[in-house]
Amino acid sequence: MNNTSEMMVEFSGEAQNESFARMVVAAFITRTNPTLEEVSDIKTAVSEAVTNSIIHGYEKSSGMISIRTRVDGRMVYIEVKDTGKGIEDIKKAMEPLYTSKPQEDRSGMGFSFMEAFMDGLTVESECGVGTIVKMWKEIGVSKHQFD
Amino acid sequence: MEAFEVSNGVMIYYLPQELDHFAADRIKRKTESCFKDGDIKHLIFDFDKTNFMDSSGIGLITGRYRKVHDAGGQVYVININANIDKILTMSGIYRIVKKKSSKEEIIKEMLKGGYYE
Repeated sequence: MNNTSEMMVEFSGEAQNESFARMVVAAFITRTNPTLEEVSDIKTAVSEAVTNSIIHGYEKSSGMISIRTRVDGRMVYIEVKDTGKGIEDIKKAMEPLYTSKPQEDRSGMGFSFMEAFMDGLTVESECGVGTIVKMWKEIGVSKHQFD
Repeated sequence: MEAFEVSNGVMIYYLPQELDHFAADRIKRKTESCFKDGDIKHLIFDFDKTNFMDSSGIGLITGRYRKVHDAGGQVYVININANIDKILTMSGIYRIVKKKSSKEEIIKEMLKGGYYE
């Protein structure tokens, strides 16, 4: 299988749309024939990125979040974009256990989970403009694939 | 929709299918209002129905752990499937919460420890 395909979805940044976001990505990538574990990994990573946009990007305000997903052979590329307040210090935000909102029971593990469950990610952000998280993962290389 | 039970100072919270930020905020509010009464010592999170979890769930558990632990209680997680176990293990949360197979196992342990005396 060596086809390329792409989708884009846009929704308002509300907590109840988090499950919609990960479902729609999971549905789109089924064509790569992922294991249940790979689907679960991708759903968690998408959930982390979308939750960040809602909690940090938009905080008390509202705005749209867009997710672009591209499948190229066994590679899955996901972009989560918001037009929120942006991240002042990306390096600090990505430190394990760092959270700007400890009083709200945030674990500070969002970026660590994205890094752990995907093969890689980049974060682009500008204060007052927004944030784009790009993540990718190759399907079919996890050890449970042929179990 | 999830629910909870409180008996003999133990709260069992039956978690929903998906434990994300949306669900975690709701559960936090529900447990907070019960903890205010001060008659809950131990907390058990039952993952039997749960097949999705992200770092918001970890935040929920550690937040509740602080309250329960300060009051001398223990937090348990039960009925953990492979997906959830991967997340819990990765987060390092097993250093503070105890994983048990079932409610019965916890009750047995509590009886042994004299908690119900």
